[in-house]
Amino acid sequence: MTDVFDHSGMSEDELLAAEYALGVLAGVERAAAERRIAGERAFATMVADWEQRLAPWAGEIDEVSPPPQVWNAIAAALPTPAPQRAGLWQSVVFWRGFALASALAAACLAVVIYLGAVGGSQPLVAAIEGGGKRTFVATVDTKRGTIAVLPATFTADATRVPELWLIPADGKPRPLGLLQADRAVTITIPPQFLGQTVSNAVLAVSLEPPGGSPTGAPTGPVIGVGKLTTL
Amino acid sequence: MDLEANRTLIVAALARIPGGDQAALQTVYRLTSAKLFGVALRILGKRSEAEDVLQEVYVTVWRKAADFDPNRASPMTWLIAIARNRAIDRLRASRQSRRTEPIEQSDNVPDSAASADSVLESAQDHARLHGCLDGLAAHERGALRGAFFDGNTYEELAARMSVPLGTMKSWIRRAMIKLKACLEQ
Repeated sequence: MTDVFDHSGMSEDELLAAEYALGVLAGVERAAAERRIAGERAFATMVADWEQRLAPWAGEIDEVSPPPQVWNAIAAALPTPAPQRAGLWQSVVFWRGFALASALAAACLAVVIYLGAVGGSQPLVAAIEGGGKRTFVATVDTKRGTIAVLPATFTADATRVPELWLIPADGKPRPLGLLQADRAVTITIPPQFLGQTVSNAVLAVSLEPPGGSPTGAPTGPVIGVGKLTTL
Repeated sequence: MDLEANRTLIVAALARIPGGDQAALQTVYRLTSAKLFGVALRILGKRSEAEDVLQEVYVTVWRKAADFDPNRASPMTWLIAIARNRAIDRLRASRQSRRTEPIEQSDNVPDSAASADSVLESAQDHARLHGCLDGLAAHERGALRGAFFDGNTYEELAARMSVPLGTMKSWIRRAMIKLKACLEQ
């Protein structure tokens, strides 16, 4: 009987979008809807349309001035200004931000370039992108067998953590380690994967439960991929 | 200051945030924090929790401002959705909703002319939504209110209104279908 209503004028997807916008979902259903918002433009648009329909209702809620310490806490929580625009790979401002945001990564890069010059090994870089945005930037120090990964536009998720994967020519993802939303991370590449960390291998980032994928393969949505190339 | 001027100021400030302009975030905060604090406080009930959520909201705005598209959404709609979702996340993570008493199914609809504030949607949008909500059955409107204002889940709404979960789901879904049809007229 409910089918008569459920399918008159609104698709199952749109009903789900409406339920999410209203706020009645919980647990895995809510988390699943959020994954779809992050990964599916059409679904995200349906949610936004429902938010627009319901928003005027908030006019009933009285404004309440928050105490001044809230702004102070926000200001203290803001990171060092880092540019987040697309096309930043070529930008001088980006590289300045890159250095400011992570002295560690910049120093690592410098060492890599130096070693590359004297030792003949080439540093590899990858811009990890998904959904039209650059989420992370990775630099491989092939001499030391490490990989430095810097967040670009990635936003932290309350329940999941970003995990980095190496996908060599055989297409099978190998786990490299967990990343951070707010700072650069340097990972030592496991020795068995070193031979596959080469130009044209792909890096991918997926969202996983805290502690990382329990299976050794990506279990959550992939939020970005990028091919390793020589600098 | 009028609605349109405020909206223009908020949109302009949001556009400066992705470049790392902290003063722009402060402008958005100054113009919108009282509304968003009210929204979080309504859902969470406790000032200390609403303050924590408000902080999360503006840090989220800082990080996601590049996602906001003024051609697709009103800035307050976008901000209110972030505030409601962060408050609901907090509610879900901590415990059940604070409001669990039975929902009266009689028509105790608040005065629809009560609001229209300086930053939210126009009085016209508000009146239109209210007109459509008034067209719903009292039990449907009661269920939607519990979800929107108290942050209730399907399970909590079913308990508050003493109906099976499946019944509550079909009430809400039917109400949303009617609401959309009415708003599109």
